[in-house]
Amino acid sequence: MKPICSGRFDGLIESLSRGAAQLTSRRGFLSQCGLWLVAASSLPLLPVARRAQAGERPVAKPARKFASEFANHAQTNDPTRCNYWRYCASDGYLCACCGGGPHTCPPGTSPSPTSWIGSCINPDDGRTYLIAYRDCCGQDSCGRCACLGQEGDMPSYRPQVNNDIVWCFGASSMVYHCSSAGLVGLAE
Amino acid sequence: MRQFAAALALALAASIVSAGSPPAASGSNVPDIETRRSGLQLAPMPRTAQLYATNCQGCHGEFGSSAAEIPTLAGRVGYFTRIPEGRRYLVQVPNVALNANSDADIAAVLNWLLATYSRAQLAADFQPYTASEVAELRQARIDVVASRRRIVDALLAAGQIPSADTLALPHIVLY
Repeated sequence: MKPICSGRFDGLIESLSRGAAQLTSRRGFLSQCGLWLVAASSLPLLPVARRAQAGERPVAKPARKFASEFANHAQTNDPTRCNYWRYCASDGYLCACCGGGPHTCPPGTSPSPTSWIGSCINPDDGRTYLIAYRDCCGQDSCGRCACLGQEGDMPSYRPQVNNDIVWCFGASSMVYHCSSAGLVGLAE
Repeated sequence: MRQFAAALALALAASIVSAGSPPAASGSNVPDIETRRSGLQLAPMPRTAQLYATNCQGCHGEFGSSAAEIPTLAGRVGYFTRIPEGRRYLVQVPNVALNANSDADIAAVLNWLLATYSRAQLAADFQPYTASEVAELRQARIDVVASRRRIVDALLAAGQIPSADTLALPHIVLY
C-alpha cells in the first residue's frame, strides 16, 4: 500500500499504526477491555471476608437493659471517664482526673461536709446504690474531665437535689475544685 | 491501705445507716474497681434509712451532725417533741413541709431519725408521727426563725432543756 504521508516521522507513525490495525482486531480489543472493566468492578461483589476493612465493630450492646439510660452505657473500671457508673449525676470536674480518686479529694483540697445524695444503677449487678456527690474545695477549678450526669438532678429551686450549684457549704473555702462520688449504701 | 480504709469507712457507714433493723441475709460484693478486691459487702439499706439518706443526709450528715451552718440532729432534735409547738415545728420547717415525698414517707423518716439520732431526748410520752398528722401540719407556712426562738424559750422555761445553749445555733460569719 502506498503511504499517504511523505515526511519521515509521519511515515514511521503511519506504518506503525497501519501495522497495528492489520494485526489487532478492534472488536477483540473492545471485548477485552469490556471484560476487564466488568471483572474489576464485580470483584468486590464476590463473597470474600472483609471484616478487616469494616473498622471497629461496635460491641453487641444489651439493648436498653436498665431503666436508666446512663447505666446502659456505664462501666465500672475507669473512674477517669464520664461513663463510670457512679457519675450518673456528677456535674463538674472529676476528682479522679485531678489527683484524687472517685471518692477522695486531691491534695490541697478538702471534702465539703455537705453533699447531695443521688442513686445510680451499677451495670454489672443491676442493683441501685446511693451515691454522695461531694465537692472538694479550697483550690481553683481543676478543669480536667468535665462531666455532666443528670440522673435525678432537679432544677435549682430544689437546691437539695440540684447539681449545678457549688456544694462547698460548710467547707473551709467556698472555692470549688472537683466533684467526687462516694458510695453511701445499697438501695433496697 | 487506702482501699482498706475506704472499705472500712464504707462498711461503717453502711452499718450506721442500717442501724435499728437486722442486716439482710445476703449482701453482695459491689462490682466496682474500688471495691472488687476489697470484698466489700453491702447489705441493702432499710427504706426509711434510704429516705433519710436521699432527703436529709446530704446536709445533716450520716451521723446526724455536719457543718456548723446546719442544725445538728444528733442528741438534740428529740427535745422538740417535748412541747406541742415543737412537735409541729419538726413537720413545718420548710424542707420537711415542702418535701416532694408523701405524708407517710415523711412521717416514717421523722420517726426513724428521732429514734436513731435522738432517742434519749424524746418526750417521755412520745407518740410517733402519723401520715394524717403530717398531712395536716405541713399545710402551714411558718416563720422559721421566730418559731424556733419561741420554742427554745418555751422549752427552757418548762425546764425541758438543760440550758439555752442546748439548742443554740452557732453565729455564722460568712465573709
